[in-house]
Amino acid sequence: MASIAVKFYSLWRQYLGVDNATVQADGLDEALDQVEERFGPHLREQLRGEGVQVDGKIQDYSLILLNGTSLRNLKQTSLKEGDVLQIFPPATGG
Amino acid sequence: MDNRDISRESGTVGKDIIRNIAESAETYTNPDGKKYPVINLKAVTSISQAQRIAARDVEIAALKQGITPWHYLRNIGTIGMDGQIKLLRSTVAVVGAGGLGGTITELLARQGIGHIIIIDNDRFAEQNLNRQLLSTEKNLGDYKATVAAKRVKDINSAVTVTTFLKKLTEKNAHRLLNGANVVADGLDNLPSRFAVEKACRDLGIPYVYGTIAGFIGQLMTIFPGDTGLSCIYGRSDSLPEKGIEVKIGNPSATPAMIAAWQVQEIVKIITGIGKPLRNHLLILDAMEGTADKIKLSG
Repeated sequence: MASIAVKFYSLWRQYLGVDNATVQADGLDEALDQVEERFGPHLREQLRGEGVQVDGKIQDYSLILLNGTSLRNLKQTSLKEGDVLQIFPPATGG
Repeated sequence: MDNRDISRESGTVGKDIIRNIAESAETYTNPDGKKYPVINLKAVTSISQAQRIAARDVEIAALKQGITPWHYLRNIGTIGMDGQIKLLRSTVAVVGAGGLGGTITELLARQGIGHIIIIDNDRFAEQNLNRQLLSTEKNLGDYKATVAAKRVKDINSAVTVTTFLKKLTEKNAHRLLNGANVVADGLDNLPSRFAVEKACRDLGIPYVYGTIAGFIGQLMTIFPGDTGLSCIYGRSDSLPEKGIEVKIGNPSATPAMIAAWQVQEIVKIITGIGKPLRNHLLILDAMEGTADKIKLSG
């Protein structure tokens, strides 16, 4: 199992009260499942407290980067020791 | 409405103008005792009108002689006279004249960007008053770009302005942004940002991205060869148009926080001073008091 760093930024850090965590996983889906299991329900509860309703798992309503690039761009699903997942909400205001 | 008002900078100004500038110069003594030749607004305007050349060209000619227009006196210590000349010769396009764009435009005018293109088809409404610097109770209903252009002229009459009362789209982006040295992001949706980024790539123009939500904002500078927005958002074909700010709102100071940093990026790009924030996403969190810089990779 590879040790994967998970870093939360922006509003997710505020709402979770956590800026980083570690999960043990060899695959991306496995790592995201652990992130969802550990942080998803609490994040959604915090968001509901702010009057914000979101649907799905944490990966469905967050921007997630692996080592600085969006998961949406990646074909790989395997992870290696030292990989970093960066997770934060979409912000588009101006 | 297209309102092209682009000043031509004369390659060389006549000897009369150079003499007029030198004769109008006065001496400013800094608190440290050092003396600087300066020229005031009245003299710049007078020479501009008498010689029928743009005020910006008078200011550039003065700076070339080592004479600083008073307006820029506090800029020079940071960017130097050469830096100020580069700014006066430059064109910056601001896409969106709301929260981010209004403050960006204000600061660009004060900094002395020679030509500002302002693109926005929206009008001021009451819900803008909390955070959009250029909105007032008196100008509700007015076009944001038109108000911004007037504000620029009130701040710095040497700056020329082009306004486009249009929504930037993939179709018109190249035409609207053509001629800009840098493009500043004052937008409020992702599809338009991707349209701007693509046009900037095609035209070879650096793009300073910025966005806000609640007490948080983020920005980065994207040069044409950089991976840019797709590092954060992924491909442009599967994006939500709006983000979480739709639900949590944007308080008064957040746009200013990010817009100010965007302007610093623009100044660095044009003057060549400092290191633009390329291939990194800077997230400023005023609630937590943190600044995070995420290294992006293509």
